[in-house]
Amino acid sequence: MSPNVTLYIALGFYAAGTLVALVSLFTRELRTQHAGLVLMVTGWLSHTFWIGTICARTGHPPLTNLPEAASFIAWTVFLAEMILFFRYRVHAASFFVYPLVLMLLTVSAVVREPFAQMDPALRSGLFTAHVLLSTVGVAALLVGLAFTMLAFVQDRSLKSKQRGPLWEWIPSLNVCRTLSYRILAVGFSIYTLGLLAGILWSYRTTAALIEGRTKQIGAIVAWVLFAMLLELFIKGVYRARRTLVISACAFVATVIAILGIHHV
Amino acid sequence: MSNALVLIGLNHRTAPVEVRERLDIAEAQYEGTLKDLKGMPGIDGVAVLSTCNRVETVISSPSEDVIESIVNWLCDRGRVARNELEKHLYVLRYEDVIKHLFRVASGLDSMVVGEPQIGGQVRAAFLAAQRCSSLDGLLERLFEETMRVAKKVRTETGIGEHAVSVPYAAVELARKIFGEMRGLQALLLGAGEISELTAEHLNKAGVTQIFVANRSHDRAQELARRFDGQAVYFEDIEPHLATCDIVIASTSAPHFVIEPSQVERAMRARKTTTLFLIDLSVPRNIDPKVGKIDGAYLYNVDDLQQVVDSNRELRTQKAGQAEALVDREVETFRRRLLAQDAVPTIVELQQALEAIRAGELEKCLRNLGPITAQQRQTIEMLTTQMINKILHYPILRLKEPTLAPQERESLRETIRKIFGLR
Repeated sequence: MSPNVTLYIALGFYAAGTLVALVSLFTRELRTQHAGLVLMVTGWLSHTFWIGTICARTGHPPLTNLPEAASFIAWTVFLAEMILFFRYRVHAASFFVYPLVLMLLTVSAVVREPFAQMDPALRSGLFTAHVLLSTVGVAALLVGLAFTMLAFVQDRSLKSKQRGPLWEWIPSLNVCRTLSYRILAVGFSIYTLGLLAGILWSYRTTAALIEGRTKQIGAIVAWVLFAMLLELFIKGVYRARRTLVISACAFVATVIAILGIHHV
Repeated sequence: MSNALVLIGLNHRTAPVEVRERLDIAEAQYEGTLKDLKGMPGIDGVAVLSTCNRVETVISSPSEDVIESIVNWLCDRGRVARNELEKHLYVLRYEDVIKHLFRVASGLDSMVVGEPQIGGQVRAAFLAAQRCSSLDGLLERLFEETMRVAKKVRTETGIGEHAVSVPYAAVELARKIFGEMRGLQALLLGAGEISELTAEHLNKAGVTQIFVANRSHDRAQELARRFDGQAVYFEDIEPHLATCDIVIASTSAPHFVIEPSQVERAMRARKTTTLFLIDLSVPRNIDPKVGKIDGAYLYNVDDLQQVVDSNRELRTQKAGQAEALVDREVETFRRRLLAQDAVPTIVELQQALEAIRAGELEKCLRNLGPITAQQRQTIEMLTTQMINKILHYPILRLKEPTLAPQERESLRETIRKIFGLR
């Protein structure tokens, strides 16, 4: 049996889960939303199995090429969403997080590459720390962006006095803002440590801090944009449009950084 | 159901308030009323539900003759002529009683669909009947199930979640903005009736401190005392805009009393990013441009009314889901009751046939003489399987949920006669 079977099973469940969750937007039924969650969790279990297969076959974390990294980010994003869901029962985040997870895993399935064996020169603690911290940091930042979007949608609904389809699913504006701030703050700290580890590793191996590759530029631009977003939160000044524009740019920069990952 | 389940009553749809008030049973009178009713001949179990919208008696009795006595009792109690009262009364039986109670407790039969008080009132009726030991097994199960279904309907459909009055709509919006209301501060400008009511609801929802400003400082002090708050001079409201989270304006001033520049200054000085402003006055007291400031959410009386209207619509939509859920639950409960109802006959039937099997087997074994344990086991298994197969169809028929009550009773009688049960 091909080791990628579990990847396709996961993808199928994620697609079904996302579809069902989006249907719940219109049916406004908790049961439909929960059915979507069950499908997503089933997909995530299959996804976990696929990641385990990579680890078992290659003997290293599944982070050496684009499909592996995208898959691991998707896995971590869903894990973070699960933790937040069971802690805060925020259903609406799923409308942003599920499609994101589906998109990332689709990248893994479409960009099919053989399981990469890691270059022995890369088997350093610093490199592993860089890859792991950056991935977990990016996952947290993406979830944080989902909550920032929820806060924005809620803000617009309250301003326009028009209830959108998400109105009932989104918790209070303050909860959305507090959660997005906390998740972004934690994600940003981890991401910063990941970037620093990467810069140090690059300096050790190539004597250059950065080489100007797409993923590096994307990662640094994303870091600057997330820093600007956090600054807005810390100052306590809310500017709806500015927040939206920075969030959108940060998301694009992060996606560019992820898509820029090649074989290392 | 071997006992007849009957509900006799009237409600806001069938009877005007003049009739309802005459039959009303105050909570303190529940026990006496229940004892009176339980003392009537032919009543195994009884419960009464009396609210401002309905007076209903639920009866479990071996025969429906009891309906007559209950109607007479209601006429005496309300001092209403029988022909007059009969115009407003409804009598429900069996499944209709179950469905009616499920709908009532879920708020589907209320004047304001989904209103939450009725759940507590049904519970109070149940507890009162329990205290007076006026419930039989059937009514006990029915009321327990009713409360479970009502809770399920509210949880699964959220039918009671949306405010249908202006003050509640304001509180609902405040919750949508702030989430947790504890620790919040509110500023009340003017002392209109709706604003007072809104402040009261906010206060109940957890708003910690309420400041009151009014042109008449005495009136402000009076109102502040009511909410355990603080009166402030009208001229000093600006610093409070920077510290309060909610502002309710309802003065009789013919001009704006809060301008965008004041709110902008307040927003810069605030520690938090959100300010909820409720303008309940006509002419309006808060410049509508304030609503354009980032972090400030302004709602006037029309906006709140719009929220109320759309909530009503939402409740109506959810009522459809709730009705479907109630129908499913009625069917499940009905099947369970029927299955429980058939149990004594089934048990008796099984015991009778088992006694025949054991007796005949014993005789047969005596005639056969010595046999091995394995042979004995085979014969026992054969006879048991035969009995099970013979009983299979009668038991299925006894549990059949689609039979009408009379058909069920006649089937039970036939089976008892055929198999010679007591």
